[in-house]
Amino acid sequence: MASIAPIRVERPLAAEEAARGDYYALLARFLSRPADGQLLASLAAAGSLPEGSRPELARAWNDLVAAAGAIDAPAAEAEYDALFGGVGKSQVSLYAGAYAGATAVEHPRVRIQRDLAAAGLAHHAPTEPEDHFAALFDAMRVLAVGGAGRTPAPIGEQRHFFESHVQPAAPKFFARLAAEPRAGFYRRVAALGQAFVVLENESFSLD
Amino acid sequence: MKTKRTQDRRKFLLAAGLGGAGAAALVAGVKAKEAPGAASVEAAASADGYRATEHILKYYKTTEV
Repeated sequence: MASIAPIRVERPLAAEEAARGDYYALLARFLSRPADGQLLASLAAAGSLPEGSRPELARAWNDLVAAAGAIDAPAAEAEYDALFGGVGKSQVSLYAGAYAGATAVEHPRVRIQRDLAAAGLAHHAPTEPEDHFAALFDAMRVLAVGGAGRTPAPIGEQRHFFESHVQPAAPKFFARLAAEPRAGFYRRVAALGQAFVVLENESFSLD
Repeated sequence: MKTKRTQDRRKFLLAAGLGGAGAAALVAGVKAKEAPGAASVEAAASADGYRATEHILKYYKTTEV
């Protein structure tokens, strides 16, 4: 059956939408694997953000930049492994289902998979559950700025994915990570994630 | 109204520090150097089961600053 190719209209992204994509990409990267030397060096060399009307994000960013300059890659990897590593013995789960309340009838993964499919997206690593926070944030990145063969999603679609899959779990996850005594560098990552998700949640209520 | 509300959201994000002068570039500068991990999404299968795999890395290349 012949399909009709959609007409793609390329519009430059507004700066704040591009920034949202960047934050989602960065959070996905932090949670997908340990921070390596290149990431730490890039962060440490990044400048500080001025505090806007909502200072939490800039403060979290500036703390993270400072922390990146004070840790090396082996230490970051050891901390990541201690917090998230290991099967069944990790301190902090990286899976949304652990926070959103997974039922036997319909695990969050099933709903995420369905919404990803509706957005024309599929998980890159089929062996990795869809409710991994790195996958959720990467999906939000694609919905916000486009990529993976698709254009940015309308705000309503972004809001639906966020409110269905990110908001029910991410704040609890970041709070859990921030409270973990073994978290040093990743406590800063949690603070950035928390501040960003709060802003996202508020911004969606405005549209 | 939709347009008014969209403007409200935009103003809120900009005032909160997203996309302000320099701010977005800082985060982008860090992010663009980083390849994504395995936990990324890709274009899904079409009706005949074909899986289009535009690798996400291509996207990153286009966003480098």
